[in-house]
Amino acid sequence: MPSHKEICDACTLGGSFPIRGEGLSRRRLFRVAGSAIVGSYFADVLIPPRLEAAAAPALQGTARNCIFVFMSGAPSHSDTWDLKEGAWTPAAFAPTSFGGVRFAQGLMPKIAGQLDKFVFVRPVLSWAAVHSLAQTWAQKSRNPTGVLGDVSPHIGAVVSLESQAQRKPGDILPGFVGLGTSSMIGSGYMSSRYAPLVVPSVSTTGLQSVKPPNAAVFAERYSLLQTLDTDRAPGSPYGDVPADMADFYTQAKALADSPTINATFSYNAADYARYGSTQFGATAIIAKQLLAANQGTRFVQLTVGGWDNHANIYAANAGLTTQMKFFDPAIGTLVADLAATPGAAAGKTLLDETLVVLIGEFGRTVGPVNAQGGRDHFQRMSVAFAGGGVRGGRAIGVTDATANKVVDFGWSGNRDIRIEDLTSTIYSALGIDYTTVLHNDPIGRGYEYVPFAKDGVYRPVAEIF
Amino acid sequence: MHEQDRIKAHVSARWATSLLALALVTVPSALRAEDESEPPVATDVTVVTASSAGDCPFGVPDARGARRLNIQRAPDELLREGRVGFASSHGSVGGSSSSSPASRAHRGTIDVEIFGKMAADGVLPTERSTDAEFLRRAMLDLTGQIPTTAALTAFLADQRPDKRALAVENLLRSDTFNDRWAMWLGDLLENVKTTAANGIEQPLGRDAFSAYLRTSLAQAKPYDQLAREILAGNGDSFTDGPPNFWVRNLATMGVAQDTWDNQAAAAGEKFLGLQVNCTGCHNGAGHTDAVNVYLSTKTRMDFWKNAAFFAQTTVATAMDPASAQRKYLLSNNTTGSYLLNTTSGNRPARAPVTGQPNKVDPAFYLTGEKPQAGTPLRAEFARMLTAHPQFARATVNYIWKEMFGVGIVEPTDGFDLYRLDPAVLPPGQTLQASHPALLAQLATQFSSGGYDLRALLRTMANSEAYQLSARYTPGAWSETYTRYFARRITRRMTSEQLLDAVFSASGVWPTGTSPDALTVQGWATPPVRAMQLPDPLEAPGGTRYNAFLNTFLRGNRDTNPRSSDTSALQALALMNDANTIQPRILQSNASSLVSRTLKATAKPEDVVDALWLGTLSRTPTAAEKASAVTYLKSGTLGPKTENLQWALFNKLEFAFY
Repeated sequence: MPSHKEICDACTLGGSFPIRGEGLSRRRLFRVAGSAIVGSYFADVLIPPRLEAAAAPALQGTARNCIFVFMSGAPSHSDTWDLKEGAWTPAAFAPTSFGGVRFAQGLMPKIAGQLDKFVFVRPVLSWAAVHSLAQTWAQKSRNPTGVLGDVSPHIGAVVSLESQAQRKPGDILPGFVGLGTSSMIGSGYMSSRYAPLVVPSVSTTGLQSVKPPNAAVFAERYSLLQTLDTDRAPGSPYGDVPADMADFYTQAKALADSPTINATFSYNAADYARYGSTQFGATAIIAKQLLAANQGTRFVQLTVGGWDNHANIYAANAGLTTQMKFFDPAIGTLVADLAATPGAAAGKTLLDETLVVLIGEFGRTVGPVNAQGGRDHFQRMSVAFAGGGVRGGRAIGVTDATANKVVDFGWSGNRDIRIEDLTSTIYSALGIDYTTVLHNDPIGRGYEYVPFAKDGVYRPVAEIF
Repeated sequence: MHEQDRIKAHVSARWATSLLALALVTVPSALRAEDESEPPVATDVTVVTASSAGDCPFGVPDARGARRLNIQRAPDELLREGRVGFASSHGSVGGSSSSSPASRAHRGTIDVEIFGKMAADGVLPTERSTDAEFLRRAMLDLTGQIPTTAALTAFLADQRPDKRALAVENLLRSDTFNDRWAMWLGDLLENVKTTAANGIEQPLGRDAFSAYLRTSLAQAKPYDQLAREILAGNGDSFTDGPPNFWVRNLATMGVAQDTWDNQAAAAGEKFLGLQVNCTGCHNGAGHTDAVNVYLSTKTRMDFWKNAAFFAQTTVATAMDPASAQRKYLLSNNTTGSYLLNTTSGNRPARAPVTGQPNKVDPAFYLTGEKPQAGTPLRAEFARMLTAHPQFARATVNYIWKEMFGVGIVEPTDGFDLYRLDPAVLPPGQTLQASHPALLAQLATQFSSGGYDLRALLRTMANSEAYQLSARYTPGAWSETYTRYFARRITRRMTSEQLLDAVFSASGVWPTGTSPDALTVQGWATPPVRAMQLPDPLEAPGGTRYNAFLNTFLRGNRDTNPRSSDTSALQALALMNDANTIQPRILQSNASSLVSRTLKATAKPEDVVDALWLGTLSRTPTAAEKASAVTYLKSGTLGPKTENLQWALFNKLEFAFY
């Protein structure tokens, strides 16, 4: 049961599907658990008129990888990436100026130490202040209740798809990995090859069940399985669901055969301590190792919750203080380590090649706290970027005294920045044409990487680079 | 009626000497084989046509080009009277009325509608399932278990033409039936010992609720009675099941109205299949117009009036000294009221419209009915809810999805009441139900038949539609055929089904001594089957089966719903997990199927048969047998048999059915 204030703007007909033409766009709130079942129910959905195809846009192309840190529950923007001080600000937060950026150095000392690498994007507005809707929107880059919304893939799956051409022999890691959660948005209607490898928790001994007890026996058994299981052949009359599983067996076999897999997915005590001695810190270590291994992984999501501080947000032993005790050392150390690790290309660091994104699903109320000493849902939010070619130590845009309304948008779009613009930014950083439309979706209306980007409605916030 | 009488006679005669080696419980008289006749579709319904609903329900586009719906109230009035009816779209499909296997006439409601629509739209159904395919599927769907070799062999050898119906009957009466459907009820009602942000039932509360649900199933309690008991229940949450529904839906960090809102939202979702919660923060209009026509005609005031039924509940807590867990004590009061005077908490501020009273009197969401004086409010709410046809429709649809893989209405908790009847569809809208007449008829049968879950499941399992094969053979499969149910929709087993299947196929069950046990917090004796676990948060760390269960995404009945997504980690678990399949394929494990088979025979042909029957619940094809025998003969029988057993566990048809 949802238990928090829901100020829903997204159920309105705004969002990523402005209505054009006659008739009502027929959307369906439609979930069919866990199968590739899609169908003709969308057949009558209105397809927006296609404008003249614009020339392919200029792409930034300075990043190979993305670490997408999803701060689930929605962190308070006016205490983190858009600090606004008031009577409510605890002294322990120790607001400090870093050039033009005010930052809570007491709350986030390690990230403060890396502030020259971060750019804070402030005039962002979420479509909805409803957790599950906004979380899904942020990860799919479209209205989940809109057309194709339900079968759309995670943006990480799109990155995985786009990186296929660059995979080399020996690339046994999946393009998309998710750490720190047991369930993630997957590849939607796309092949399960692009779905995330989801690892709920990491340990010092690596991925559970990856290594068979005896490699030779495993090889023989696997070979026998291929012979006996005709249902694995393409075109099996059982349909898509078992076919996806067959794909996963292929992936799993490659992982099981890898001599380095355990090292990639485990960590030592020294690193663990540097990253804050927490599970979240450990996932940050693994994220770095996955990218440093350069064996196919290009998009890693770290999911971290606990940001939904409706009460006691400033308590010394609760709220943001306890959150940052594990978040700060993990992220601060991660960024520092990435900067100290060589990248794939000569003369580049892993940070140069990796766009780090710190993003939640919306923001929190501003100014004085509520009756429970907390902050509630709020559409105004901020997002932090590092690496991947961004110019750090600054902020984009200016909000008012409480981080509510925008005083200066600070980018060429001159309007509130939406999740679709942020996704365009990520794709552009990775050299992916964010205006792409794939014509392989189940209903034939075209899957847009970013809805309406090809029509110029959304675009990258190039100012971060 | 000839066939039904024969079934009745057979079941009573065969009762004590069932050929199926399943544990049978003492069956109260209410559970004896029911007459399969179906009540006729009600004839006194008013079918609302577009003209009788007033002018075009579409309003003027607003500034964003969205059309605000201007539905007249007529459908609501008819809903209130329960008089919206759907004419059967297909009537009876022809075919002889013979009960012989050769001509399986489509006489039942389900088959008439399912095959009728396929015929009308030119979609070809696939062939009937084989006996082996049917038994494994029916057992998994109805009891969560795969057949033992003994049960399967007996079934395959059985020559009676009605053996499938008899098998269904026995499954409905088995103890494992109660386990499997208690798991479903637990998922539906989200019974779990702790949550991230809602109430904490604690293990004792979770156990009380779980035991209550299971007992209710075992006693064949009518489903409407179950719903009323849960919605209106009072008592001690550690000894009584129903108060835990309230506890589960408690809103923390907020005002009392937030909890009352949550109760109403949960009731709407679980028992009516409606997302009334959408109107818990704002009016439907201007928000849900594009996703739910019905909800966009409802207001936040409608929601508050509905939530007001929960305002006369006294909730006390007490620390239980023995367990050091906090319990809840629910009772009714006569003074509580729903006031519009909140500015904090989990939902937007509540304030009356200027000039209006700030006290909201209860009125039922669907009909506006007000409670009768002198009866506790929650009892009145429960009465109105369970009397409404949407209760039967939603329940039938939920169960349909469990059996057929896809609901007649999707999503099953997102009904749009104004898109169910083809005769009264607002212009520009499409029908939400794939088979509206079928849904209506099944719902009517369910409600007029005493809300009997077993009767509903019997009707479904005995239909030819349910018994179609999972293999689509008439031609190329198209995903558009899915909503026609042109074949059995293949699905992956759930976590619990899969683990139990590994136990059952290998014959190696947990010993019950930790760590080889499905330990449950607070239970002296662990359950034998995974399907008996009371919530998916068990077993706590330290048992060897926890990771396997979680890898197959049983969820947490809170922020993470159960999922049947597949993953590479699942493939790894099936191939390599050291605690589940690995130890159970060993010849050195005396209980294993491999070990017992090799003690009984040295012939590779017999080994192949035994492994196929035990693991895949069928006999091998000639080609499979030849291939497997060749493999077994390529080395020492023991290790080769272990490898073959491994391969069968990893064959897709083991985990998918």
